[in-house]
Amino acid sequence: MTRIRMAACALALLAITAATAAAQGKAYGKPLTLKEKTPISKILADPHAFAGKRVQVEGTIVEVCEERGCWINIASDKPFEKIRFKVDDGVIVFPLDAKGKKAIAEGVLSVTHLTKEQAMKQALEMHKERGTMAKFDSTKYLKGVTDIQIKGEGARVVE
Amino acid sequence: MSGASAEGGTPDDGHRSHGIPWRRWSIVLHRDVGYLAVALTIAYAISGIAVNHIADWNPNYRVTKTFTTVEPIAAVAPNDLVPVAMQHLKLTEQPRSSFQPDSNTLQLFYKGTTYHVDLPTGKVMMEATRARPVLYEMNQLHLNHSKRAWTWIADVYALALLLLAITGLFVLKGKNGITQRGGWLTAAGFLPIVYWLVFLR
Repeated sequence: MTRIRMAACALALLAITAATAAAQGKAYGKPLTLKEKTPISKILADPHAFAGKRVQVEGTIVEVCEERGCWINIASDKPFEKIRFKVDDGVIVFPLDAKGKKAIAEGVLSVTHLTKEQAMKQALEMHKERGTMAKFDSTKYLKGVTDIQIKGEGARVVE
Repeated sequence: MSGASAEGGTPDDGHRSHGIPWRRWSIVLHRDVGYLAVALTIAYAISGIAVNHIADWNPNYRVTKTFTTVEPIAAVAPNDLVPVAMQHLKLTEQPRSSFQPDSNTLQLFYKGTTYHVDLPTGKVMMEATRARPVLYEMNQLHLNHSKRAWTWIADVYALALLLLAITGLFVLKGKNGITQRGGWLTAAGFLPIVYWLVFLR
């Protein structure tokens, strides 16, 4: 009888642990340290105000690097916006099936200006990799673009 | 590697005159560590070839993109976009989430499948992602995606390979041993490194 009770307790403990782990999601890289999240829309509205600063963002993962899992795009809290969360190759590897899940991600914001050539090259590579249906519009890159991304250090991905 | 025999050379029972039977220990270690290393060596070798060609293919996932056309979705309130798209696509299960990268595109995320819907034309790209069986797991181990304890297991495996390389030099003696043919072959093994240093670095 005692053995059965002990087994039941162990099973219950295991179930609680598993449920807690599932609710907390899977952790990638370093632990999250910031207490406050910054809305992605706020960063995109004035990226230079956050350049070089550590930020924590939250949103749906809408794209994952197919080849190496070395970046994810996170949807903003406002429509049609997203931000790239880029990690060092191999240090963190996001699985492709993370698409559609929620990410809480932390890192340092990087703001760089890409020349017309750099922007065009990057956009063409992305277009080729995604195989999107939309036609490639080169006119968008004539003046170059401001590249905004978070140099990722740690993230948690939850269902 | 494993199960090394002394063919082509005579295994020495050890230089008993020096007290420690080095050659016998080399043979025993090479044989037994070799057996232990077989499973991981196979996994790492296959994964090594797979990830070496990452520029040409995706070694972890099979991504298939198929296209179809549904009725265009126009003049629909933003909150109704997902249910209307699901209806057009004859999907009954609720998506994990959805996203609009621009005003003309809607993405529906399901486990393993993403639907990209071009709203004005009704063109749809279905992107299905499936992990490659076995190879995905091998790559996870080889590239140490899980970190934690696997880092230590991989370190032990690397030390085992080192031990195999060193003990392998002293398994045989005589014409096929390290002082003759074995020495030349060992030297030849350094040629790829020299080639890299001279031409590829």
